[in-house]
This record gives sequence, structure tokens and C-alpha cells, in this order.
Amino acid sequence: MMKVGIISFAHMHAQSYAECFKILEEQGGNVNLVAIADADEERGRNAATRFDCTYFRDYQDLLATDVDAVVVCSENVLHAEMVIAAAEARKHVLCEKPLATTVGDARRMIAASERAGIILQVAFPVRFNSAIQRLQKMVVSEELGRIIAIRGTNRGKNPDGWFVDQSLSGGGAVLDHTVHVVDLMRWMLRSEVKEVFAEVDTRFHSIDVDDCGLLLLEFENGVFASHDPSWSRPKMYPTWGDVTLEVVGTNGVSVVDAFAQHLTDFGDTALPIQHAFWGNSMDLGLIRDFVDCVTSGRSPFITGMDGLQAVAVALAAYESARTGKPIPLAQMG
Amino acid sequence: MWKVAVVGAGTMGTVHAQAYVNMGNVDLVGIVDIRQSVAEGLAARSGTQAYTSLAELLNETDVDIVDICVPTYLHKEYVLQVARKKKHVICEKPIARSLEDAQAMINACEEAGVSLFIGHVVRFFPEYCLARDRLQSGTIGCVGTVRTSRGGEFPTAWEDWYADIDKSGSVIVDAMIHDFDFLRWCFGDVKRVYAKSTVGRDFPRVDHAFVSLRFENGIIGHAEGTWAYPDGFRTQLEIAGDQGLLLHDSDAAAPIQNYRRSSGVANAGVAVPESPLEKNPYQLELEHFLDCLMHNTELRITPLDAYKALEISLAALESIRTGQPVELGGVE
Repeated sequence: MMKVGIISFAHMHAQSYAECFKILEEQGGNVNLVAIADADEERGRNAATRFDCTYFRDYQDLLATDVDAVVVCSENVLHAEMVIAAAEARKHVLCEKPLATTVGDARRMIAASERAGIILQVAFPVRFNSAIQRLQKMVVSEELGRIIAIRGTNRGKNPDGWFVDQSLSGGGAVLDHTVHVVDLMRWMLRSEVKEVFAEVDTRFHSIDVDDCGLLLLEFENGVFASHDPSWSRPKMYPTWGDVTLEVVGTNGVSVVDAFAQHLTDFGDTALPIQHAFWGNSMDLGLIRDFVDCVTSGRSPFITGMDGLQAVAVALAAYESARTGKPIPLAQMG
Repeated sequence: MWKVAVVGAGTMGTVHAQAYVNMGNVDLVGIVDIRQSVAEGLAARSGTQAYTSLAELLNETDVDIVDICVPTYLHKEYVLQVARKKKHVICEKPIARSLEDAQAMINACEEAGVSLFIGHVVRFFPEYCLARDRLQSGTIGCVGTVRTSRGGEFPTAWEDWYADIDKSGSVIVDAMIHDFDFLRWCFGDVKRVYAKSTVGRDFPRVDHAFVSLRFENGIIGHAEGTWAYPDGFRTQLEIAGDQGLLLHDSDAAAPIQNYRRSSGVANAGVAVPESPLEKNPYQLELEHFLDCLMHNTELRITPLDAYKALEISLAALESIRTGQPVELGGVE
């Protein structure tokens, strides 16, 4: 039986991942969520009670137990220290995105996991969205012909809290919402980003981090792309945000809205129009895959290097906006 | 009655001629096209005379306004010819293929004392006008980002001139210029442009472009232009403010979707959307021009507007060529 702990519920995805572990347990899966660590005692104890776990204030105490694996959902800047500590304690790790807030940290995390021989997987759940998976197969099988260009969006509402505190998040919308879609593009194209140009600004909210931007990307294989990572959805937008991709190939175009599988719910509530998603749970796909990696010992589907590359592109976008120039990814070291 | 002639009996010449036929105050005096049968065909459908040269029409008729619907790279020679005869000019967008040509056309019309109206028809599309009205009423607050998309299948025309970038300027000069003009109308001048497209990448008769725009007022814009779809045509507009969001999607807004069985009908088997209006935007645009001439009022699109929209398109092409962002100077 694989025993799992979750380190920190700072990121809201921790709730969803914990629910996914519970679903797998109920389905008779070979996994058991047993421990939760959170420096925020109230938040941690509440989660521990809800998910029937042992609570630890200090994540090092959780790492001292016999859990096989941990999910790290702390504030972005804490990922490096926690993942490295987990690796040193020989625990397999699923780390919330972005993997790190610097490329150097990401490298140290990958090196630590390799030294310890543990699995380091990055939480890019959108790879498990059914429509995105179908698109990836179309691209890889060349159903669309030779790929010419991709237009991406991953917009959201202002997530607030520590997300808008640079000292904890390491960046705003551009870091938060670039990594998912860059990961999808890299995955489908099987090619790395060569160069990034970006406009970045704070124009929607009174916050100290960026809340909007636009990236133009060139891939090594000659595909060009654009991406909009802005927190530009108003408070009353009927869902949290979007992930969309338009893939242009020589045989045609595929336009994908990853969350189009929804009912539209019109009510008299504070949010009068809501999109109620009925597609497959991508978080469950991610957690199931992580459990399968750990229990079968196979290599993860999404690696630490995938996490690093996505972070490097987001950081290059900031560098481009700062200098006004396109930034070659080689410079991001 | 205004005596109007249309030069160029292609797609846009046909749309304009039909609009003039619908208008009560226009006498369509002739259709010019160097292809005699094409000129005769449209002239017959429009109840007017066919000519195979503009000079012939200018000599034989007492025309007030000449409407130039020829390929972009030919605009200058035709507009200059009309201006020399001191006739008012309507000219399809883009104003020209180069800023030098555009300036020569503007100068010639100014010197001749005739009006020059460039057909940036998006300023007459009701969905775009409504978006601008709402924007100006302030309901969405201060704008942060704006996105446009325009395109569909690769256009087919005389001598396949759209496929020659020296003649058409690619989708960036031919189609995206509509959005650049509309965005300037809403948000003012653009400060910086960075772009990527299929230009220089060897995809014959497939054209796709992304243009990053930074406006003087700080707004971040993204324009997409495509002639890479196998069929259809669609437009999208998204304006995100700090208090709201405006969305337009022509696919979603078409009130009629036709699904026809294949029995020799054009586009059989393909869903064909229709969005009927009492008057199409082309007719509204042409009526506006005649109204401005009649009452000596300001044109919704000045020649300088058309020049500046072209400047944005050409900056995008330069960015693609150099791989660097292009700063737009305050060209007057």
C-alpha cells in the first residue's frame, strides 16, 4: 500500500488532490492518504480532520514518517526547499506548478531527485484533460499535417492571497498561467521553446505582481505560437477561467476549449451564470498517474525537466518585458 | 443623384456595386475591369455600362465619385488618375502597399481638392460599433488587454495576387489592417509591435499571423490573422477591462446556420452561417461617405487613419523580417 502525505494546503489544488486520493482509496486503489503537514495550523488541522490524516505542523516531521510519497502544494518559493528535503528523505514527489521560481532552484530540485533515485513529477493536470489528450494525439499522428502555429490562452480571475505577493509567488499571472500552456505546447510539438518575446504589465487589479501579458514564442522546430496568461476574467465570469488552444497545420486547424464540456447554469445567485463542468476530472488523471508511477516504478509522464522548461519560458517572458527584446532560451541557463 | 463608377469587378467591386444599386441617391454610371467579360457581367447585373479602362470611363461619363476596388498594389495609379480629373475617390483598404504610395495618394487628393475615403468597413460593422460604444460608456472600466481574430480560407482572386506578398502584403496588410484600424479608433496609437507569421517560412497559400501590440496608453493587444483554414470566415473580438469583459464571436452570433444536403448546392455539406441585416456594413460605409460629401462633415475614417493602420501592418512585417520589436514613431 502506497502511503502519501500532502505538504501544505496553501495552494487550493491540494484540496482537489486530496479528494482524488480519497476517490482512488474508495475505488480500492493501492494508495492511502495518511498525513498532512501545514505551517498554517488551522488550515492543516481542518484538512487533516476532513481527509482523516495525521497532522504535522513541521513538514520535516511528516518526511520522518514512513510515507512513500508527498505532494507539495506550498507557496511557490517554498517548493525548492520542500522538494529537496523530500528527495533527501527518499520520498517520491508530485510538485504543484510552477516547479520553482528560478531555473537554478529547478536544477537543484532535479539533481536532488536524481541523487535520491526518487520520482519528481510536476503537476501539469491539463495534460490529463480529455480534449487536450485527443489534440495531442492529432498533432503527434500528423492528422493536422505539419504544424505551423499554435494560439494559446490560459486566463483566470485574480487568485489573490499569496499569489499576488511576489515574495511568496515569485511572479504573477505570467508565471502562474504560462507554465501550463507552454508545457502543453512542448508536449505536443516534442520541441523546445527557442525564443520568447513578451509584454507584461499590471492593468486589472491593484496588486504588486503582474496580472496580464502576452507571449510570442518560437520553437526549435520552426513552429510559432502566442499565449495569453492574463488574470483578465471579471469576478462574475461563469467559471474560473480558460485553457484554449488553436493548432494550425498544413492539413487543417483544430480549435480546442478544454472546458467546453459544461452545462450552463442560470440562477438568481451571486454568480448568476455558472459553467458546470461534466468532462473527465483531469486532477484525478494526474493523481492516478502519479500513484501508478510510484507503485509500478515507471518513469513519470511529466518530469522535473518539463517543469524546469516551463519555468524558464515564463522567466524569459519577464526578462523580455524588462529589456524590450526577444530572449533566447539558452540565456535562461 | 450621385454619379458613381466602380473600378474592379472582383469580390469587393461586386459588393459595392450591389450596394449602389440598393441606394436611392446613386446613379451607377459604369463598371471598369480590364477583363471585358467580367466587367460586362457585373455591369449587366447592376444595370449599367461596362468599360475596360478607367480613362475611357472618365472621358465618356460625367462621374462624381470613382470607387477603386482593384488589388492593393494598383491603388496608387488608379487613385492618382481619378484625382487628376478632380473626382472624389473611394478606395478599398488597405490604402496602399507602401507608405510612400499612401502619402502620394493623400497628397494628390488634397491638391485636387477631392475627398479620399478608404474602406475600413469594420468601423461600420454593428457588432464592432456597439463594442466601441460600450467601451466608451465606461461599463467595463479601464481596459487592460484586447484580442482580435480575423480570417478563414485563403482568398482566391485575379492572378492569385493575394499569394504575392509584394502585391498583397500577406494577411497582415490585407486583413488584419481592419483590426488595427478598429483598435486605433478605440484605443489610439500603437507604440510597439512584435509579430510572427508564416511569411518567410515556405507554406504556399497558407498564411497565419500573430501580432503583439502595445498601445501608447499601455493596453496590451493581440491580433490574429489567418488564411490557413480550409473554409469559412470568422471574426472575434475580446476587450477585457478592470470592471468587465466584452466578447464577440461571429460563429456564435450568426442567427442562421444552414446545413444543406449535397444536391449541387454551393458549399453542400458545409454548415453555412448567415447574419442578415437590413443594410450590410458596406452599404452603410458608402452611404456615410455620400452623406459626408453632401453635408461637408468629417469622415469616420480619415486618410491619415488609413495611413496609420498601414503603418502598423508594415511594422508587423518589419518585425517578422528582423525578429525584433518595432517602435512606431509619431509619423504625421
